[in-house]
Amino acid sequence: MGHELTTEDFGKLFERQAQRLGEAHFLVMYWAAQGEDLDCRYNITNSFDDMKRLGITRTKQTAVAIVEALAALCFIEVREERNRKNIFITTYGAKALEALVLSGRFAPRASGYLEEQAKK
Amino acid sequence: MTIGIGGAGSKIAAKLDNAAVLVNVSETELNKVPGGARRILASVHAARGQFKGSRKNPEIGHDAYQSIRRELLAMVRGDVVFSSTGGGTGNGITTGILNDLTKASDISTSDKTSFGLILPYAKLESSEFVSNTIEFLTGPLAAAIDSGNTGNIFLFSNKKKFEEKESEELYNQQLVESLRVFLSIPDKNDKYRLLDGHIDHEDFALFMSKPYFNHFTYFDYDPKVPFGDQLEANSNPYLLAPEAAIEALFLLEVPKGGDPTLFYDILQYFAGKDVSPIYSVVENQDRQKPLVTVSLLYSRKPAELVDDFNRISEGHVQAKVKKSLDQWVELPKMEVNMETEARRAVKQRGDREDVLATLRRLGKL
Repeated sequence: MGHELTTEDFGKLFERQAQRLGEAHFLVMYWAAQGEDLDCRYNITNSFDDMKRLGITRTKQTAVAIVEALAALCFIEVREERNRKNIFITTYGAKALEALVLSGRFAPRASGYLEEQAKK
Repeated sequence: MTIGIGGAGSKIAAKLDNAAVLVNVSETELNKVPGGARRILASVHAARGQFKGSRKNPEIGHDAYQSIRRELLAMVRGDVVFSSTGGGTGNGITTGILNDLTKASDISTSDKTSFGLILPYAKLESSEFVSNTIEFLTGPLAAAIDSGNTGNIFLFSNKKKFEEKESEELYNQQLVESLRVFLSIPDKNDKYRLLDGHIDHEDFALFMSKPYFNHFTYFDYDPKVPFGDQLEANSNPYLLAPEAAIEALFLLEVPKGGDPTLFYDILQYFAGKDVSPIYSVVENQDRQKPLVTVSLLYSRKPAELVDDFNRISEGHVQAKVKKSLDQWVELPKMEVNMETEARRAVKQRGDREDVLATLRRLGKL
């Protein structure tokens, strides 16, 4: 094994990971945080419906791939609860979301599902 | 008393008068000016004023004026105020004074304020100076002239300084010496033997209290050459060129034993212009040749003054645009709806703060 990674290396890695995220990743993390804030579960099916409504994708496979990529990067955690795959943002995901928000690359868009939940 | 406002105004006032009062918004700028007596710090943000000056922004000067308004208004009555029209402090504070004088209704002849305004040389000085000057001439100065509440206005020009590449120190010194020659007219009437006419301090103060532009100059008078030709050839290089005189004043100093009747030719010249000047002739033993000091009061509509400036200013802007085009800078046509853009900006700022607030609430940040 080569030399060990330094704190600076980890910082750079995180920065590059955040830079590679697209709008769909940004929105999934944002909606997951919003769902948690509303105290309602936000799952993969909800994210697929929202992405489809916004014209981001037409297939569930793409939605799943986006969620899996975020989970692989430890930016979200997917928990199996009552036969639903619910999404929770992690503290690393929160940092990545913060970086994306501050960069101004993407603007938040509303989730149809969460808007309905907020009315209840 | 003399009052100097801003950097340029203070330097001239302090050179002219050891008892001058100097006004600035910056303590640093105030302390840079040698001479003068009292210093007044006009402040907006802090008790000690700001240290950076007005950064060519007359609004800063005008805001600062409010902090010294009452004191300054009482002080300027019957005095001479020097200020630049291009800089932030001079322009802003003098705007305040002029606006208040315009509104006043009880200014007696002896209380009229004369203004020495230093105009930028538009060809070489910054475009902000020129824009500030145009706004000053069309706004507060125009209104003050219309009100008739000011005394003489001297329009000094930086043209000679820039064209002859003079140091500021030398230029200011020459300008002040030139001004001293004019201001010494009543003293010379006291000091030297009078040969004809008389201009005493009251006559001079009355002349200074008239709300016209003053162009004064002085030169060795050659009785063999028509006075008009000599006057034209010797206009004061520190002042803007005069227009047709409405009123005039002159002092002729002749050497000891000189011809005391030379002044009739000068009177003839003014009679041809329908002007009846006040004048005096004195015997000055120190002179080898006759010297005439003459002052012309003229009215120049502010719009005409601004036209002069605009012409130069436009040329300046056109040159800048041409330079840009020469560099092949392509400007894409942008159709921006400011209202939509503003809404979008506010919404985005709101969204961004909302997201971060949510993450903090969740304890994730």
